[in-house]
Amino acid sequence: MTPSSTGRNGADPDVGSAPAVDLRKITKRFGAVTACDGVDLALRRGRIHGILGENGAGKSTLMKMLIGLVLPDEGTIYIDGIQQHIHSPHDASRLGLGMVHQHFSLVEALTVWENVALGETGRLDPTAIRNRIGDIADQYGLVIEPDAQVGNLTAGLRQRVEIIKCLRRDPSIVIFDEPTSVLTPEESIQLFDSLRQVVADEGRAVVLVSHKLDEMLHAADDISIMRQGVVVDRLLASDADAPTLARGMVGRDVSLRSERAALGLLAVDDAPAAVHDDQVGDVVLSISGATLRGASGVHALNGLSLELRAGEIVGVAGVEGNGQRELGDLLSSLISLDAGSVSVNGRRIPDGRSGAMAKAGIGVIPEDRHDSGVVLDMTVAENLVLVDQSNVSHRGLIDQHALEAFATEMIEQFGILCAGPDAPMWSLSGGNQQRVVLARELAQHPLVLVAAQPTRGLDVGAIEYMGDRLTAAAAAGVAVLLISSELEEILDLSHRIVVMHSGRIVGEFDRSDVDLERLGLLMGGAAT
Amino acid sequence: MSDATTSRQGARVGEWFALYGLSVLAALLLSALLVEATGGDWRPVVSALLDGSLRQPGRWGETLGTAAPMLLVAVGTIVSGKAGLVNIGQEGQLFVGAAFATYFGFLVGGPGPFNLVIIVLFGAIGGALWAGVAALLKFWRNVPEVLSTLLLVAVGGQVVAYGLSQSWLLLAPLGDRGNRNQVSQQFAKDNRLPSPEVFGNRIPLAVVIGVVSAIVVSAVLARTVWGFRLRMLGRNPRAAQRSGVSQTGYGVSALMISGAFAGLAGAVMLAGGGFAFGNYQLVPGFATNIGWTGLLVALVAREKALVAIPVAFVFAGLRTGSSFVGSTGVEGRITDVIQGFLVLALLVPPAVMFIRDRRRAQAAAAERV
Repeated sequence: MTPSSTGRNGADPDVGSAPAVDLRKITKRFGAVTACDGVDLALRRGRIHGILGENGAGKSTLMKMLIGLVLPDEGTIYIDGIQQHIHSPHDASRLGLGMVHQHFSLVEALTVWENVALGETGRLDPTAIRNRIGDIADQYGLVIEPDAQVGNLTAGLRQRVEIIKCLRRDPSIVIFDEPTSVLTPEESIQLFDSLRQVVADEGRAVVLVSHKLDEMLHAADDISIMRQGVVVDRLLASDADAPTLARGMVGRDVSLRSERAALGLLAVDDAPAAVHDDQVGDVVLSISGATLRGASGVHALNGLSLELRAGEIVGVAGVEGNGQRELGDLLSSLISLDAGSVSVNGRRIPDGRSGAMAKAGIGVIPEDRHDSGVVLDMTVAENLVLVDQSNVSHRGLIDQHALEAFATEMIEQFGILCAGPDAPMWSLSGGNQQRVVLARELAQHPLVLVAAQPTRGLDVGAIEYMGDRLTAAAAAGVAVLLISSELEEILDLSHRIVVMHSGRIVGEFDRSDVDLERLGLLMGGAAT
Repeated sequence: MSDATTSRQGARVGEWFALYGLSVLAALLLSALLVEATGGDWRPVVSALLDGSLRQPGRWGETLGTAAPMLLVAVGTIVSGKAGLVNIGQEGQLFVGAAFATYFGFLVGGPGPFNLVIIVLFGAIGGALWAGVAALLKFWRNVPEVLSTLLLVAVGGQVVAYGLSQSWLLLAPLGDRGNRNQVSQQFAKDNRLPSPEVFGNRIPLAVVIGVVSAIVVSAVLARTVWGFRLRMLGRNPRAAQRSGVSQTGYGVSALMISGAFAGLAGAVMLAGGGFAFGNYQLVPGFATNIGWTGLLVALVAREKALVAIPVAFVFAGLRTGSSFVGSTGVEGRITDVIQGFLVLALLVPPAVMFIRDRRRAQAAAAERV
């Protein structure tokens, strides 16, 4: 299934000449794990090559070898037909390879042009850099204010800065690693427009690494599917459809809802079963007029009001950085409000008082579990009782047997992979740390469960598990607040969706009548 | 899996021993070189150190007596360290504690054993209050405790010196101060900590207080809810805040307990000292670096109260041994440099292991990607 000779944009790819990049039999092992196993990959100029695969399929490792962050154990790399050894990012950049990373490497305190100039050597010429940014902006439609401070930019604009940083070195081969994970739907479409331009006008070779099927179908020309370190399929985007791609990626038919959500396949009419009225109970959590001034004087929370009923899952949709983190922090007693209040079952809970929210029955799976969710230097057992030690202690003394018994039970019940109750928390993988948090918060029998970006960085199996647990919690009468920047996740799990923008709730939908276009506009702040 | 785990742990223990062995050896070599370079001979210096700390009659009792206040200071440092607070003002807290012990010891002046309790108790209270000043500044005005505790050492020195110049405070009556003008009264025999004699060595009761304190603190930190929550605060203040561990409440108590142990050290030096620490009376410069050394003990013991016990004895041995080094013609203070080398040697292995563990963790994380 080699790609045919016509690109989607009609341009003739140079079939006769050597590919821009030709990877042959590339193998990389980490200990017992083979991350890439004899991978062949050819990238041609003027085409967008999509690399599709789940977390851990070997995509990132392959790209890291291409830009010199990881050295291959076996195999050869040809750039424009000449064999090359890429030992460092510097080598890669000399050979014309550039990468736009998934996680931004920008300095928030600096301006756009300063960030673009970072890593340059020689004399600093602000005017020249500003002009260059202007040129790139005109050329690709990546308009940006060179003197804006990066800390004030949205995720989409920050990514634009990353792209400009990369294009400024005029790379002939550009790699985009999961570029849409932080973007709104509109921003993603804009991104793919400029991507197409980069390819069409300049004959660059572009690699798009992603686990989202619709991106592959819409943006790529050629698609390689990776699974467990091996390229399992190569096909033309024009010949592909979503089910084929999904099957290739997962290795079997994809049927589970959460899997489809994770792959971005969920259609709008695929709503969760309507909530029966008898499932939804009284208002449990009520936030009214929550206001918090941020450090820069901008309101991080700006009169946010929200009500949550027992037994429902409310999804908070929104682009990151619009106050979601502060909402999670508020319900974790980590911040004090400038105005507004939080009540649980009609009783006002003092904001910012240590432990008050947890005591009132608000469980939290935090956005960044290392921030307030776990203590890495303590054991798994200790992390399971961080919030409440009353069941494993007697008169101020910790009952080691009770603690171990409780921990063993939780480890079994939640399938936590670890060496035992006494294993240090840092020895667990991210997914298992997340299970410890989930186990602890559910074991408290919370009235409210806040799940902030609960599946970030997890693989399909773990995502599915998390979704099931949240659904089960709601069915058991817990009021679940799901804060996520993954729209699919919200659409998949929520009964009700609210949209957050600039620190307040700007819109609300019932899951059964979501208007995706309007939702996108609300997320972007373009509608009220 | 268990086999692999055991062998990996075995390898780890081996690594630890090798690292500690190598770095202590390097410190000793450097010390020997230093002695030679200053015109001495390392063999008699080692011999004098051993004589002074252990071999000569009565010397190991002296070493134990010196170790006791160091250990108490270290135990206190460990309590605040576990809460994530850096108290480095033990030298001052110790001095102020000793001043409180002196003032209230003579103010109450009851029968022997009762007054001994008063002396020890008010030593701890004095140290706790002096650390409490730093705690107040931190939780009321956000002044970093690293700075305030350190600077309060100098302030404490001046305050106590003033007390020692005023007869209504600490200064001894005219007849009791001989030719000195800044000295307190001397505690009577029945107000001193007993020092039973064992094999020709006087073993001060203070050693028992120190060791018991270390064991109790170690157990409290590991086994009680309070210790659990204190450790949580130290390791992740935000997780602690969410879980209801009040930074102010726990932070203030940790700092004050830390100061209390330093003050207690001052009190036992006063009431049990005799040996190296004045003559059962308070004088300027009474603390004689015990606070600073205790801080080093805690640092080297890496916040483990039980490990602090042997470490304190080693440091005390260096101190008592150094008084004999002068007889070899080598400057006695060279042991300060040796002590510095040893501290560095004992701190290098944990740092190396930390870096290696982190690299391994990163490699493992990269594997998972």
